[in-house]
Amino acid sequence: MLTYLMRRILLMIPTLLGITMVVFAVMALSPGGISPQSLVDGAMKPNQRQALMDYYNKRYGLDDPAPVQYLRWLNNVSPIGFTTNEKHEITDFSLTKGSDLGTSFAYGRPVSEVLAERIPITLLLNVLTIPLIYIVAIVMGVKAASESGSRFDVSSNIAMLALWSIPTMLAGVLLLGFFANVQHWQWFPTAGIGSRAAQDMPYMPHWNSIQDALKFFGGMIAGTLLMVWLSRWPESKIRIVIAALFGLVASVAMAQDHGQQSIAVWVLIPLLGMLSVGGLAAINYTPLRVLGLGTFGLIVGGALAYQTLDQGFVRGFLMDRAWHLVLPIICMSYGGSAALTKIIRSSVLENLNADYARTARAKGLSQKEVLWGHVFRNSLLPLITIIAGLLPSLLAGSLIVENIFSINGMGQLAVEAVKNRDRELVLSITLISGFLTLIGYLIADILYTFADPRVAYD
Amino acid sequence: MTSFLKRWHKQAPKKIKINRPEFSKQEPVAAQKVEKPETLTQRVMKKALSGIGVKFGLVWVGILVIAAVFAPFLANSMPLVMSLHGQISFPVVHYLTLEDWVVLSAFGVMVLVWLLPIRHHIRVALVLLLTIPAIVGLLVHWKMPPKPLVIYDDFRQAPYTQADWRIMPPIPYAPKDYLRDYGDTGLEAPLAAQERTHLMGTEENGADVFSRMIHASRIALSIGIVATSISMVIGIIIGGLMGYFAGWVDMLGMRLLEIFEAIPTLFLLLTFVAFFGRSLYMMMIIIGVTSWSGYARYIRAEFLKLRKQDYVQAAVASGLPLSSILFRHMLPNGVAPLLVAASFGVASAILAEATLSFLGLGLVDEPSWGQMLDQAVKSSTFNWWMAVFPGGAIFMTVFAYNLIGESFRDAIDPKMSRRAGVSA
Repeated sequence: MLTYLMRRILLMIPTLLGITMVVFAVMALSPGGISPQSLVDGAMKPNQRQALMDYYNKRYGLDDPAPVQYLRWLNNVSPIGFTTNEKHEITDFSLTKGSDLGTSFAYGRPVSEVLAERIPITLLLNVLTIPLIYIVAIVMGVKAASESGSRFDVSSNIAMLALWSIPTMLAGVLLLGFFANVQHWQWFPTAGIGSRAAQDMPYMPHWNSIQDALKFFGGMIAGTLLMVWLSRWPESKIRIVIAALFGLVASVAMAQDHGQQSIAVWVLIPLLGMLSVGGLAAINYTPLRVLGLGTFGLIVGGALAYQTLDQGFVRGFLMDRAWHLVLPIICMSYGGSAALTKIIRSSVLENLNADYARTARAKGLSQKEVLWGHVFRNSLLPLITIIAGLLPSLLAGSLIVENIFSINGMGQLAVEAVKNRDRELVLSITLISGFLTLIGYLIADILYTFADPRVAYD
Repeated sequence: MTSFLKRWHKQAPKKIKINRPEFSKQEPVAAQKVEKPETLTQRVMKKALSGIGVKFGLVWVGILVIAAVFAPFLANSMPLVMSLHGQISFPVVHYLTLEDWVVLSAFGVMVLVWLLPIRHHIRVALVLLLTIPAIVGLLVHWKMPPKPLVIYDDFRQAPYTQADWRIMPPIPYAPKDYLRDYGDTGLEAPLAAQERTHLMGTEENGADVFSRMIHASRIALSIGIVATSISMVIGIIIGGLMGYFAGWVDMLGMRLLEIFEAIPTLFLLLTFVAFFGRSLYMMMIIIGVTSWSGYARYIRAEFLKLRKQDYVQAAVASGLPLSSILFRHMLPNGVAPLLVAASFGVASAILAEATLSFLGLGLVDEPSWGQMLDQAVKSSTFNWWMAVFPGGAIFMTVFAYNLIGESFRDAIDPKMSRRAGVSA
């Protein structure tokens, strides 16, 4: 195992070299290339411009041929290499010089510093999104597979394909436009992951009196309990009617809050509310129905209780952050969970039809035991492959979402870097994302051995 | 020897005919069905096309193709036909660009080739032969000096309004007609304008959104198809060589594949587009060049399986050239999973173009769906019609191609086809 690991890690080096070389070649071969001209703009006298260009040339070695530039960057990045002096002359060979990602052109600061600011933000988004994706996908996928061919399976399959096809930018634009806009509902913030005011707030939310806190939590708990109780009502017709009534009430309140009062709003919103909450109650799969209606109750109860609170309520840093993250996380998770659901479905389905599953059923195990005890573990392999792909998407996956919601994370940085032709930053981001991808593959290969004892590396 | 071969070829169908009467004696009903034995391709096609989802997908793609081909006739500021002092003229035809002509003639040729009762390989040759002038035409167009500016306001003035009679296109606004002569232009919600009808409203500069959508379908479709073909060709060549030679060629190829897979595609695309130009053709090439790794993987896996097959060995033994072994003997047997990947590939290429345009790195002057979405975000107020229609079009197109790809995958996969979700 150890030799295998060592070999894999050593094999990463040529691949990483190749990755950075491809990206560097793209930059160097492009018309204009990496030249000081692209860094110097604005109205300037010719001699000033020339002086500035000379300065950049000297500082970053931009007047050298492209291969020399690449080798110099490589030498700087690798922890073992030559040390150089101010004039880019080689002075010594050192094993302990440490790696240096260089200085960003656009920011004028060390790349590592810029990255250190951005990475935690993207990490936060992803740490919240990935478990959500997995929970939804496992619940839906296993259910669809165990009832393959049923109405739930067919409809969820089409729904997932549709969800998967919704471009993230459309979802983001619509969410922002409808739920973070004075014209419609101004419920969520439009940009960033925290408001300026929240910097001075205490970490936890703060209430003026104990009654207020009780009211707030009581409202949420009461709403949730009520809806969970309703969702477990055995007779579906009565359940759907009552749920639709609740939906009607909630959506009337929603219509009242709309920015532009018009007849269309008063007709459309209650209709949509009735249909969607009634539809939730009509789901034939109990856990999903409980989850859906429970969430609805939680939101409505919380919102109603929030209206009755006194002025003394301070939402605190934590709640402010959560409030800012709701829309971005919805945007980031729906597509991934749809894709993953389909993968889990086909994987579980394949195993359910396998001989060993039939044997398990034949010896008298219940469907549940067969599903979770035997089939599920064997269906884990494709899930692990996806984990391998998720690690690099820490950087790239949130690119669009960060752009829509103006979150200053890695994705935003990547777009800025290529737009500014920031050689150092582009190469560093490439290096990091490439490294993460390769590590992801490695982790997946190691996880295979845990999921499936037949897989072994020597 | 050759005459013997010819005779043998001629006799081959007779043999099958001899078998048939015996078969029909036993089961006359079944024999009528067996008249022409069903090939795998036919069976897969039949199975794949039986679902509702795939039909919906094909209908939507068909609508898009019609919209893309006939865009200048569907949405334009100038009359289709008009009669001025007894003289009948066709202003739309007069103002068609070279690109329009190429698209229209290519479509016409495709339809003709499809309808004419000619044999398969002649069809292929005809299409190939006629695409060459089309490509040359496009290249010429690329290098041509810019066309004189068409001032759309003129079409609402003297000679055109005094016509005896005229027929306007269904949407009487060109995509870049900003309706400046009306004075009240700017944002209009759908059907809100007083003297005109804008089914999908107007954007901030005053251009009709529906018209822009129709013309943008051309960009979306052409990028989807051309970029996917480019990446398929690259993928087939690299993957085919890897699978056929195996050994160290495979080793090297796999490293190359790994390199291209380890860079997030979107980031690689961004880098390419930011550093190279932003023209439509550049964008097709870039999207094609960055997304071939999946196809190469599929083809490699198939060819690794096929290379030890008897018929491939026979082809090698009879001294056929490499290209013939790879593309005439092996490729048709390994192409099925590739077609599925291609359908998903078209969807992702359309999405890639939309994403690039959305990030402000797309086409500058041509309307595209992604760019229209970007416009919706950049505007100071949220105007739902500027986001919903182009975004919905992207969604529908991607959804349609995904549906098609999915049903073909289910039809090809023998394990899943029994209980396929979409095509069931």
